[in-house]
Amino acid sequence: MSQRQLAMVMDLNKCIGCQTCTVACKTQWTNRNGREYMYWNNVETYPGEGYPKKWQQMGGGFDASGDLQEGVIPHIEADYGIPWDYNFDSLAKGEQLKANAPLTWGPNWDEDEGAGNFPSDNYFFYIPRICNHCTNPGCLSACPRDAIFKRDQDGVVLVDLDRCQGYRYCIAGCPYKKVYFNPKISKTEKCILCFPRIERGLPPACAQQCVGRIRFVGFLDDEESQVHKLVHKYKVAIPLRPDYGTQPNIYYIPPTESPVKFDANGKPIEGSNRIPAEELEKLFGKEVHEVVKTLKAEMKKRKETGESELLDMLIAFQHSEMFRLDNNYYQEHAKTKGYKLLAPVDDRYIKGKNTKKISFFKAHA
Amino acid sequence: MKKIALTLTTIGLISSVYANSVINATKMTTDLSKITVDSKEWKSAKFTDIVLYPQTTIKMNDKNANTKNSDVKAKKAKVAVLVNDKDIAFLVKWADGTKSVQAGHNSSYADGFAIQFPENFSNPKELPYIGMGSEGRNVVIHLQKAVDAFYEPNGNQDVAHQVSRNNSPYFEKELQVFDAKVKAIASNDYQKAYVGAGFRSMTEIKDGSSKFSSDMQYGKKEWSGTLNRPLKDDYLDLTKNGSFPVAFAIWDGENSNRDGLKLLSTWVPIVIDTKNDTLKVVDTLTTPVKGDVKKGQELAMANCAACHAFKGTEGVTPSPYMAPNLSNIGGYSTADYLRESILNPQAALVPGYNRNAHKNFAWYNTDEKGNRTSTMPPFNWMQPQEVEDLVAFLQTLKAEVEK
Repeated sequence: MSQRQLAMVMDLNKCIGCQTCTVACKTQWTNRNGREYMYWNNVETYPGEGYPKKWQQMGGGFDASGDLQEGVIPHIEADYGIPWDYNFDSLAKGEQLKANAPLTWGPNWDEDEGAGNFPSDNYFFYIPRICNHCTNPGCLSACPRDAIFKRDQDGVVLVDLDRCQGYRYCIAGCPYKKVYFNPKISKTEKCILCFPRIERGLPPACAQQCVGRIRFVGFLDDEESQVHKLVHKYKVAIPLRPDYGTQPNIYYIPPTESPVKFDANGKPIEGSNRIPAEELEKLFGKEVHEVVKTLKAEMKKRKETGESELLDMLIAFQHSEMFRLDNNYYQEHAKTKGYKLLAPVDDRYIKGKNTKKISFFKAHA
Repeated sequence: MKKIALTLTTIGLISSVYANSVINATKMTTDLSKITVDSKEWKSAKFTDIVLYPQTTIKMNDKNANTKNSDVKAKKAKVAVLVNDKDIAFLVKWADGTKSVQAGHNSSYADGFAIQFPENFSNPKELPYIGMGSEGRNVVIHLQKAVDAFYEPNGNQDVAHQVSRNNSPYFEKELQVFDAKVKAIASNDYQKAYVGAGFRSMTEIKDGSSKFSSDMQYGKKEWSGTLNRPLKDDYLDLTKNGSFPVAFAIWDGENSNRDGLKLLSTWVPIVIDTKNDTLKVVDTLTTPVKGDVKKGQELAMANCAACHAFKGTEGVTPSPYMAPNLSNIGGYSTADYLRESILNPQAALVPGYNRNAHKNFAWYNTDEKGNRTSTMPPFNWMQPQEVEDLVAFLQTLKAEVEK
């Protein structure tokens, strides 16, 4: 366990599946050098098979007694799908349009398909997924070379590329299949929670670019942070598939709002909900029912009284309140450990438990 | 000796007297530092059979690979060794029906081989743990794998050539030039040297201070791999005595072999100078154990099976993660290692699983200073003959050899 834990909360009620986070991550980190097929951040449609295909059935994680479980390593063609491109250059020469790889699967292959019958009870929602930076990581536990570590200062899970020998047991061990093998360097790579950005006062690219403002970033022990309030005070943000036993640090506010179902005559069925409660329970555990209750109660309260701290937070008025990156903490850590940290590039998000003073335009001083 | 052994086996006193192979190096006067599989020097070399057994001490967590390897057999390999004043060269040949070269995607694994040397072999009764050494008993390992082009993680800071060709600003001829440049900066020879004090600690020597070269070639359903290295460098001094032990490992990419999913040999004595062989490595490693296998089996069921799994303990051992699995221990351990581990388990500690992977089954405890104490208590109350019986039984625990 790390000294402190940086965490993210994603509000699924507000995710519109625009993939801006996916693209932000891809252009920042994974559009090159053997990472082309990797999606450190992807947004998948649920119900759906996800990326890699059927990742929820691939094993890994821990059983109730805490033993790491066997897992499957997804196949590049069948489960990830090889990223393809078309022969646009050759079209001018009269060639037919064709892809340069077999089209087998991809990160948004079954986007917006969902389940149920249109129009009576069909439904779907989006789940953006990044590495969960677990407190009890399956990938770290599976590595025979002790190449994966959890940073002490903020709990970010990283791969030491000097130690990594490309054995790929981490991929089998991670139940979320968020660790990837880079065939070009024959080593593992994964989401780094944009730590080089965090250390300079910028939130992760996926969070900053999110147009729906669904992502909150902060330290779990920072009582002022919205992340702390959503997870610990209001207890409305819960991890995905807690039954895997890895104690994820990416939390989700489960989707509570959906249109009502229609009966055979096309009439709305009052009080019905298209998203089955058992599906939510499968994804988020039994706690989800309590969360839905809290959210409904707060919405009612807001309607009646016009006041609700929780809903004000979920509206996400200000990035500067959604992200609390505690830059002084990182600077102090660097000083005590004797490494060099660059000055923050943005002072809007540097507040935190150890960063009380906000001096706009003077952050570098 | 053979006759006595045979008689003893037939009357049931000893089962596994089949002594280890001894490899006698062929003296050369020519330069060995550039030797490859094709070199003509090998024509004068003598080949010795060794057997490599599946690693089953710890269970890896790759489900498909475990299925593929569930009843893998031991494999014979042929080894020849050449030596001159400065260098030593090894040639290992083993049958492999499928040539597996790790290609540029995530579902492909490489064939490969490795040769392991103990840093200190002045007491051949106390050699490093066969699984890449143990605390205080370091090993040096040379690895060669059949890997297609691979790249340094930072691409030697050449950012322009890390860009995907689809994202490059080039078309047609310029793109071909770009592709050629990218290909040219790849490494094609996946050969690495490591130091280790137990398999979790294995660390690559990256500063070029280990001068060696290895090579791998496939033909006629067989791999041939060579390694040449100096007899003496910063890490090893093999010249001190006339003999020293080495261990071999091979990986089969077809079976998704890598890391612990492999076949490995026990410590095999190499003799480079018979006249100067003061250490008696050969004697130590080849002296047969005089024990009663049947009595040993009873002792093992009574004393070992509560933690260690091996053939016959099904339903007795409570968890597969509790302690090293002994199913192939007879294949890749020396008799002295077995004795030492029974009497003083502390001497060569097996690093085991990640401490986080099976929290209820720690193989060792750590105090504040980081000192490790084996969870296994010493069985030093056993009578010397009982220990011999137990060792004789443990030596029978090994997979069948592939025909």
